[in-house]
Amino acid sequence: MKPKYTGNATVLALLFLLTVQTALAHPLRLSLSEIEKATDQEKLSVSLRLFLMDIREALLFDPENDELAFCQPNEAENAESLLLSYLDQFFYIKVNDKKLDLNIASKRLHGEGINLALAVEFEFPLTEHISSLEIKNAVFTDLFFDQSNIVYVYLGEETESLMLNKDTPIHRLDL
Amino acid sequence: MLKKRIFFFTAILTVLAACSPNAPTIQNDTSVESEDELVARALEIHDRVLTFDSHADTPLRMIEPGFDMAERHDPNESGSKVDYPRMIEGGLDAIFFAAFVAQNIRDDEGNSRAKALGLQMIDAVIASTEANSDTVGLALTPDDAYALEKEGKRAIYLAIENGYPIGDDISNIELFYNKGVRYITLVHSTNNDLADSATDSKGPEHQGISPFGEQVVLEMNRLGIMVDVSHGSEEVFYDAIAVSKAPIIASHSNARAVTAHDRNMSDDMLKLMAENGGVVQLTMLSDYLRDAPENPERDAAVAALRAGMKPFGEMNQEERKAARAAFNELNEQFPVPAANVNDVVDHIDHIVKIAGIDHVGIGCDFDGGGGIDGIFDASEVMNITIELVRRGYSEQDIEKIWSGNLMRVFRDVQRIAAEIQSSNV
Repeated sequence: MKPKYTGNATVLALLFLLTVQTALAHPLRLSLSEIEKATDQEKLSVSLRLFLMDIREALLFDPENDELAFCQPNEAENAESLLLSYLDQFFYIKVNDKKLDLNIASKRLHGEGINLALAVEFEFPLTEHISSLEIKNAVFTDLFFDQSNIVYVYLGEETESLMLNKDTPIHRLDL
Repeated sequence: MLKKRIFFFTAILTVLAACSPNAPTIQNDTSVESEDELVARALEIHDRVLTFDSHADTPLRMIEPGFDMAERHDPNESGSKVDYPRMIEGGLDAIFFAAFVAQNIRDDEGNSRAKALGLQMIDAVIASTEANSDTVGLALTPDDAYALEKEGKRAIYLAIENGYPIGDDISNIELFYNKGVRYITLVHSTNNDLADSATDSKGPEHQGISPFGEQVVLEMNRLGIMVDVSHGSEEVFYDAIAVSKAPIIASHSNARAVTAHDRNMSDDMLKLMAENGGVVQLTMLSDYLRDAPENPERDAAVAALRAGMKPFGEMNQEERKAARAAFNELNEQFPVPAANVNDVVDHIDHIVKIAGIDHVGIGCDFDGGGGIDGIFDASEVMNITIELVRRGYSEQDIEKIWSGNLMRVFRDVQRIAAEIQSSNV
């Protein structure tokens, strides 16, 4: 089959659409979350790794603004509450159809420069058997139309990987 | 008279080009060709040569619930860059789908999880090829792509990006080979047990490839898996050249002399890649292709918007939404230009100049951040060919760039594996 030449008009249109989204963006529109329950533990652990530039853009509208100073001695008093307020709109975990309240157990920084990422850890006491797990992860899809949120699920010996995004922000696993 | 001079000049160029075995062949009839004729000629070449993209992270899409490779997706809506209909539209004949597992804890449990996640992605690719066997086929050898092309099908090859799923068990490499994996990128954005990353903030850990990583490289040589040094530190590149018994590849890397970035390759590395017989596959990430241009108008508009905003801590939800909308509108008014096909071919020109025409190829990194103006997704890859033709590359050169060079390395790697295996009997 003969390939299609897109032509200059299309190229210009794509330039416009692409660059609207690339302004102020981290080059990789990715986040990674891990949801874990070991067989011998009565808790569900959830970890979110988010590029700090993206967090700053989402909360402060400025990827360079370090005013919230996450994980630094001068961390702003409202840094965690602003982050949680944002995450509440775009991220949740439901176990057996019950939404878990997000409370940050710990957080730490990884990397440097544009690769600097904030790892946010949540822990939820859990004694009941998990029959369903519903995950929403649409973080930063309000900033970037092509944001990809990778989710790794580890339940006992079982592993599962998912990719959630603007089109598919929620997935339910029936176990 | 002018035409005669141009013809004389291009004839000299042709003779000079022919004198150097590594130089691209300059076409001598382009001076009288209209733009439409040039595009038509380029599209015919694009149709004739086997086009092969050595790197796409599309397996990440395949683990998106409900994502169907047989459906055409709008890249501006979904962000997806590759599906089978768009491979056909773009005239993209073959592609390496890389199963990427993000680096995590390097212990037994972490390794075992990484292996399971890697296998899940590999199985997702295999399942997709089986479900779409009327349009694509899983390819294992270089010849498979040509055979599939004759059948009117696209060739899907498998790779692993980041050697983390190998863990500390060398036998996993054969497991992955048997699944169809034909190259492994040793390391990703942070160091692993095999090698140092070009971008780990903690700096080097092994000063290149670790002793275990060397065993991995030799096992890849034995099996016929290409060694990929993209994302590795410079020392990883030099170690791979020294350790590997077969030529190596950089599945998605660019030229540092054109764009200064740690992920790109220095001229010294490019020369050594040529001596090694390997290939550097150009990738379509704006940050690796050009320095971001200054945008003072945008900077001023952003500053003005911020100055008029309430302190962010005092905003309620509605006010935050309004602020986000205002910033999105501003981004539409003052876009940051992405890299374009000229930047891509500038890198190709440079690599050809330094390493020769036999050591450059294409690895777009679609679905892993790749996608620029004019080569935004798989349906637009013919624009690379058009620009190559515009700059005077011959069909023979374009065939080398699009697949010939990578296939040469692939064949060498498989031949050397056969030799190693027969000498071990």
